Amino acid sequence: MGNRKKNRNVGIVGIGETKFSSHREDVNQPEMIHEAVRQALDDAGLTMDDIDCVVHGNMELFEMVHQPDMWHTLGTGAFGKNAFRLTTGGTTGGTLVAAADNLVASGMYDTVLAIGFEKLQEGHTTGGITNMADPLWARKLQSGALTDSAAVKVIAEFGGDRARRAAMMYRIIMDKHACLNPNSHRAFGLEWDQLEDLMKNSPPLIGDLRLIHMCSQSDGACAMIFSAEEKAKKISKNPVWIRDHITVHREETLNLCNNYYPNETTHRFAAETLYKRNGIENPLEYFDVFEMYDPSAWWGLDWIRDFFLLSGDEHIRLVEEKEIMINGKIPINPSGGVIAANPIGATAMIRVAEAAKQVRGDAGPHQIPRPVKHAMASSFGGTMWTVLFLLEKELNWQGGKHD
Amino acid sequence: MTEYFGVKVTDIFDSMAERFRSEGARGVSRSFGYEIKDHGKWKLTIADGKMQLAQVDQLTGCDVTVSMDGKTFVGLNVGKVDGMEAFTSRKLTVKGDFALFGQTSRFFTKFILPGEKITQEQELLVLKRTISVNQRFATGPVMGKFLKALKEKQILAIKCPVCGRLQSPPREVCAICRVKNTEWVPIGPKGEMRMLEYCYYASPAPLTGETRETPYGAIGVLLDGCKDEEVFWHLLRPDQLNKVKMGIVLGDKVVHGTRLRPVWAEERTGSIDDIKYFEIDE
Amino acid sequence: MKPGFDTTDCYTIEGKLALPYTYFAGRVGSTFITTLRDKQKIMGVKCKRCNKVFVPPRQTCERCMEDIRNNWVDLKSGGEVVNFTVVRYDDRHLPRKAPFVLGMIRLEGADSPMVHILEGVDPDQVKIGMKVKAVFSPKTTNTILDIDHFEPNV
Repeated sequence: MGNRKKNRNVGIVGIGETKFSSHREDVNQPEMIHEAVRQALDDAGLTMDDIDCVVHGNMELFEMVHQPDMWHTLGTGAFGKNAFRLTTGGTTGGTLVAAADNLVASGMYDTVLAIGFEKLQEGHTTGGITNMADPLWARKLQSGALTDSAAVKVIAEFGGDRARRAAMMYRIIMDKHACLNPNSHRAFGLEWDQLEDLMKNSPPLIGDLRLIHMCSQSDGACAMIFSAEEKAKKISKNPVWIRDHITVHREETLNLCNNYYPNETTHRFAAETLYKRNGIENPLEYFDVFEMYDPSAWWGLDWIRDFFLLSGDEHIRLVEEKEIMINGKIPINPSGGVIAANPIGATAMIRVAEAAKQVRGDAGPHQIPRPVKHAMASSFGGTMWTVLFLLEKELNWQGGKHD
Repeated sequence: MTEYFGVKVTDIFDSMAERFRSEGARGVSRSFGYEIKDHGKWKLTIADGKMQLAQVDQLTGCDVTVSMDGKTFVGLNVGKVDGMEAFTSRKLTVKGDFALFGQTSRFFTKFILPGEKITQEQELLVLKRTISVNQRFATGPVMGKFLKALKEKQILAIKCPVCGRLQSPPREVCAICRVKNTEWVPIGPKGEMRMLEYCYYASPAPLTGETRETPYGAIGVLLDGCKDEEVFWHLLRPDQLNKVKMGIVLGDKVVHGTRLRPVWAEERTGSIDDIKYFEIDE
Repeated sequence: MKPGFDTTDCYTIEGKLALPYTYFAGRVGSTFITTLRDKQKIMGVKCKRCNKVFVPPRQTCERCMEDIRNNWVDLKSGGEVVNFTVVRYDDRHLPRKAPFVLGMIRLEGADSPMVHILEGVDPDQVKIGMKVKAVFSPKTTNTILDIDHFEPNV
């Protein structure tokens, strides 16, 4: 991988999240965004005058408003400022954070505001995603982001009963977390004794992917403020440091089984590369929390293995033994994750924001009940792309071999 | 009788007649069953802009029947429980035409909680549009050659000169090796089923914005001459959805899937529609 | 195109992108449109700090980010043309047959101009500074087209 050496350290100094819900008739897009921006500014104790640059992102086809960043100036505060717009599918929120980090680390700007949003109720999510596919072939065949492929793979490897049970356990764990998070869009209050019933009776979407497994379509926005080390320490009592991040793309692909080829997922490749260049030998021991972009319970279950470089059924056991719960060995998505709320352009940023809040210790009712020093957050999107972040409480990390 | 949110189950049913909106029920001629756990069964019949409600011992002849507990039922009616959430978490189950059940809210005005102030909620405007943009896509020489071959009932793949993998539909380059693909290879047209996406969920067809018919099967076929993950993406004959088996490779273990063959359209124009679908080859 | 580029296999395929959308105007936008519709009155919002009146209204002042959603002010339905363009092509997305005039109209009492259709004047006779007034539509669409058009105020 190319040079990723930072010119200077970058801290997260402000976080804002709207409540996520199925629809927001009471606000238009800039008004909704402004709720998150206002919160992030208040959180940092800053005003728009302190912001040097605004980075804005979502997916146009979900609302069919082109160049929304212009209309949204009313809510973003970008009037008269440098501003950029980004869109990279599900990873948009992660790319926004990565861009803000790069803009500050490079020395281009001292303080950058990044905003991700989506108002999925205004459009047709599955239709929008389908229309992003190759117009001469895949558009006719694609079923949005819905796919049975992860389920097929896990069932083939571990047998139907164990696989279906583990996926539903993952789902119930996420719901238990979602019930703690006041911002959740969907928090059902599922109980363990509903597991069998849900496995059989939740309406099917595609093959073994059922409605209950799949993420929601949400409205909401997330805003984060990033500042260079010296300023960050002045702005915030407890800035969260972005240690490193990586973006891994896969080719545009027409292959239905595209998460096999070439027998390594972008998640595993991203994790391997990031751990290697940061000298992290045992990620399962090292990290105190992982906020994963988990679009469905099947993907979430399957991807634990890739992100922590596990083998065999280690990832299934982590779920079966509830070690991914908020009080477990490696808490995954104490926020409830993407299944609990998915305003797509904001979703990947919410992963970083939630991980940062855990590090600060002020996540709220879903704060992990022990100190959190090292956090990881992932983004997923496009034709299986990954953006992966390492966050730190202290600026004292060792290792890091950048070529 | 138990109260939920300060309201009895019977309060809701008893007030239905006065809350009925005949304009909302115009043209509807259906019957709806309500099975409220520990409270009883009610049958609602809508016809000719009129309603009839009866508490019954057995629910028969209903177009749709919903079952839930008293708290969920009252909660739904007073706006304390979200319908979709109740459905997803199985607090509410539906037998019969689900979409029909969704219409019932049109037949009645909202139930007003006792003591609830009737405030005029602000009218929030919603604009519904189907945006439709005409497009014209250039095939380019590579996709063009592949699509033209379909007219002759031939499926072509393009081969990477470095790693040798086949891509079909073809791409100008192998993105992994970062080289230009040069060699064309005919593949299939028969093959074996590798991946089935059994779609129950209907997404809009991009050409019309109209909902597609379900269920349908999007499939990955490993055409003869291809290996590993070089599968070809198309549709399965809809009536054969339940008759096919997926093949899979797991380590050294290979399970072969159902043999399939393409069904060609009679008029072929050089597009994806030149193949109608794949069907079982027997 | 490079010389010698073989276009034998190049052709085009007709396509379409059609998707259903639902837009929410929000509270501020809904108040603006329903007042247009029901009272035939145009309202703006004022930022007291910047001393500016915006129409169409907005929840926050774009300059200072002050929350101005409750600072409603009534505006006159007359104003002046601060800029305009003549649309000379037909398209199914356009609100009128060509040629027609789209004007930037600043209402009396407002600081921001708004775009609308200008009728009752020959496209070649439109001038910046021209006085115009709103003509309300007899039929509602719950959009800005509840003002049907503007015309010269004589």
